[in-house]
Formats: sequence, C-alpha cells, structure tokens
Amino acid sequence: MSIQVQALSKSYRRLLAVEAVRALSEVTLEIHTGEIFGIIGPNGAGKTTFLGCLLGFLTPDSGTIQVDGHAPDDLEVRRVTGYLPERLVLDRWMTGRAFLGYHHALARLPDSTRRSEVDAALEHVGLAADAAARPIHRYSRGMLQRLGLAQALLGNPKYIFLDEPASGVDPAGVVLFRRLLNEVKGRGVTVVINSHQLDQVERVCDRVAFVKGGRVEAVETLAAGATLARVLRVRTLAGALERAGQERIQALARGAGAELADMAAAQARFAVADDDGAARLVAALVAAGVPVIEAAPEESRLERLFLEPPAQAKS
Amino acid sequence: MNSTLLVGLWRQRLASPIRVVILALMVLLPPLLGSVVRGIGLQALGDAIPLALVLAAGMIGQDVSSGVLQLILARPVRRSEYVLSRWLSVGFGASIANVLQIALFWGLTAARGWAPSAETIASFAAGRELQIFGVAATMALLSSLIGGLGDLALYAMIFVFGGIVTMIGQTRQSAVLHGIGEEIGALLSPKIDVAQILAGAPSWFAIATYASNITLCLLLAILIVNRKELSYASG
Repeated sequence: MSIQVQALSKSYRRLLAVEAVRALSEVTLEIHTGEIFGIIGPNGAGKTTFLGCLLGFLTPDSGTIQVDGHAPDDLEVRRVTGYLPERLVLDRWMTGRAFLGYHHALARLPDSTRRSEVDAALEHVGLAADAAARPIHRYSRGMLQRLGLAQALLGNPKYIFLDEPASGVDPAGVVLFRRLLNEVKGRGVTVVINSHQLDQVERVCDRVAFVKGGRVEAVETLAAGATLARVLRVRTLAGALERAGQERIQALARGAGAELADMAAAQARFAVADDDGAARLVAALVAAGVPVIEAAPEESRLERLFLEPPAQAKS
Repeated sequence: MNSTLLVGLWRQRLASPIRVVILALMVLLPPLLGSVVRGIGLQALGDAIPLALVLAAGMIGQDVSSGVLQLILARPVRRSEYVLSRWLSVGFGASIANVLQIALFWGLTAARGWAPSAETIASFAAGRELQIFGVAATMALLSSLIGGLGDLALYAMIFVFGGIVTMIGQTRQSAVLHGIGEEIGALLSPKIDVAQILAGAPSWFAIATYASNITLCLLLAILIVNRKELSYASG
C-alpha cells in the first residue's frame, strides 16, 4: 500500500508554441504508507504538476502512477483521498457547515452521519459554531484554510494531498495544522505536502523530495536523529573568541558534539547535529566563560538543500 | 445521476441575485402580457430558450475557471456523471420555471376568460420541455469548451452566424446555405413539434435529429471534460 511513481514525464504544449514546455522528466519515487512526504523546490520546478499527476488531474505524457495498485483517478482511490488545493476556491455563498455537508455527500459518506461528522470536522479545525453558520465569503484567509483542511479530512481518508496548507494561516493555525498532521499520521494516513514553507515541512515531514527543473534532485530523510548537520552562528562580545583561542573553541565544540566551521573576532560558525547539539554547544561555551550574546541557526537543513542541492538523486 | 451535484447547481443559481431576478422577470412578465393583450395567446410566452440559458450559462465553464471543479473531481465523481448531472440540473430547473410560467399564464388568461384549451397548453408545455433539455445539452457542450460565462457569448455568436447564413441562403435562393443555417438553428435549439405527434403524424426525422443532437452534444461535452487538465500548472 503506497504511492509508486515510475518514470513520470509531463510537458505542456502552448497554443502556437513550437516546442512543448517540459514540466516533469522521468520522475521515479515511492511514497510509503503512513509517512508524511514533502515536495519542495523553487518556483516552476514542477511541484504542482507533480501533485496534479498524483491526484489524476493531469495526464502524464509517459510513466505510471499507482496508488494502492490503482490509477490515481480511480474512484476507489478517490473514495479514500482528501485534497486541499493551494488556491482554495469555494462556492462562497455557502456556509462553512453547508460546504462540508456538500463534500460529505460528494464523498458518498452515509447521510446518517453527515451532521455529526461535519460538526466534528468543524470543531477539529477550531471553527466555532457561529463561524460555521456564516457564509464563506465572510471568512478570513486563515478560516478558509481551516475549512479547506476540514474538507480534506472528511471521512478519514487514507491519503491526504495538501498544496501549500499553511499558506495564510495565523500562528495558532500553524500549530493546529501540525497537531492535525501528527494525529492523521498516528492513524497511518499517508500525507503528501507541497509547500514553500521549509521550516514547516522540516517539522512535519518524514521524507522530502527536492524537485528542480522537473526532476527529483534528491529525496532526503528528515526523521528525528537524521545525520544532516545544521549550521549554528554564535556571536560573542568583541574579541572574546580571539582571547579564548581557536584551539580551545574547537575543543569545546567537539566536547559538545559539534564542529567549529570558521571563526572571526566576534562570531563563529559551528556544524551541529540537531537542536540538542546546538543547546549543548551554547551551554558549553557559556560554562567556559565565553560571553555569548546570540546563537541562531544559519539555515535549516532544507534551506541548505535549497541552496546547495545534491548533484545526484538519492533515496 | 448525482443528486448532490444536481441540487448543488440549483442552490448555486439561487444564490446569484442577478440570475434570480432575471428568471423571476422571465417567469412573470410574459404571462402578464398574455393576460393583458387578448389574442396574443401562447405567443406571449415565446420560446423556452431564455429560461434554459439563464440557468445554463456557465454550467461547467464557471466551475472550471473558478477551480471548484478540481475540488469536486477530487471526490469519487466520474467526469461523465458531473456533465450529465449538470445537464439534468439545468433541464429540470428550467422545466420547473417553464411549468410555473405556463401555469401562471393559464390561470391569468382563465381569469380573463380567454385561456387556451388544456390540450393546447399540454402540447405547448411538452414542446418547451423538450426544447429546454435540448438547449441544456447544447450549452453543456459550449460550456465545456470555454471558461466562465463564455458559453453564453459563444451561443449568441453561433446564433447570429446561423441567422446570417440562413438569410444569405434565402436571398441567394441557395438551398445549401439555407440548410446549413437551419442545422445551426437546430443545434442551438433542438425541438420537436409535439402537436404533430399528438395528431398522430410524428416526424421521425425530426425526432431522430433531436435525439442525435442531444446525444452528440452530451458525448462531446463528456469527451472534452474528460480530457481537461485540471491543475493551474497547466494554465
């Protein structure tokens, strides 16, 4: 039970254009059951095309996609799929409750459970009863996104596809979004997320595919304990690092499981394994009398992947 | 047929004040005219085309251009089921408006003492019902081709083009051009003369033309919607 993508290619032919625009080239990967899988990449990389193909909205030029052994547009797959589009366009005259009721019916879920399941879904995403009775055109962007998420979660789907799910959501909504993802993951649901928000992806995804130029450049594992190091930038009072000496700073870093990357008069960069490693390093520096005034991650693992993508794909 | 989609389109239409006002005026004004002008009879009601058009405009194209269709088809709904539900929804919706309009006309003219006979009314209503489902099928095809309310503009353009071709055919006495104009008219407004059928002299050619027009329009609409790419990435 998984999503298998084999040699998927897709191009678009514009009217009167001589050459087709290649959006995806020979993409091959597998998304395992129960994992949260992220798709990241720069604009125009082919992420949305990839998601469109996974959902059966786009017809590939070549290659195959199998969801539980079925084509992605098979009704059996649709029955167990939830989808939140990036550009959430709704029938804005409906109330939130009517909208969810409409999708509950379209999902062919039992009439007898409609009211209770719709109310539960609204409550689940933190939409109060008065908001649920309000026409959608009076919803804020964040409320719309919550409603869209509730719609995607209706009927306990086995596969959930989220296109920029945290876009326009307030911090409380982002926390709720992460909590919901952890919940569905606990139920063994497979989630595919397309997002630009690298920190969010990094926090929730088990694995992530970096897409660029229509190709999967890399598939990285982000699970806890991943060996990818991050860079911690530490600022101190002027001259403190020089006075301590490079060898001592290096020894302190190694003692905390980190590695000194480079050092200047009032700033040093360290490679640390994870947040715990960063905390240990800062504690060691302070304990050794180094006057630390700021310590901040220079870039996240995914940001680094964005900046220096691997030359070859790995899985 | 998907009853959720069928009712969904009605609710969507009723949520549009412009459509509701236009539909209300279409239902109310012709019967009032018929009740005021003696002798005008059922001609006051005219064709049922406007009733169908006001509900049909954008029946598929609006969902495509707004992105709503993507969300609908992420559900276990076949694209053919979607097209046929849209067609039936417009057909039944306009049929209700048709029945209301004719009932109002009959009531008002009966009150004035010049109502047509029940047979005439029934035959007229049945003919218009068939016309409504025919126009709805044509609009399903046009709406699958073009986004938003472009189907209405396309319908108007083809209507004008058909009229010009027919006119040229008449002035030049060209049977071919006249025939083409007639065919365009039949495509835009498929209908059957029910009075002929009731009189026991049905035109089997007209019935076959009507049935084939509707079937062709719906099949083409399904084919086009089936081939539609529904990601904004494809735009």
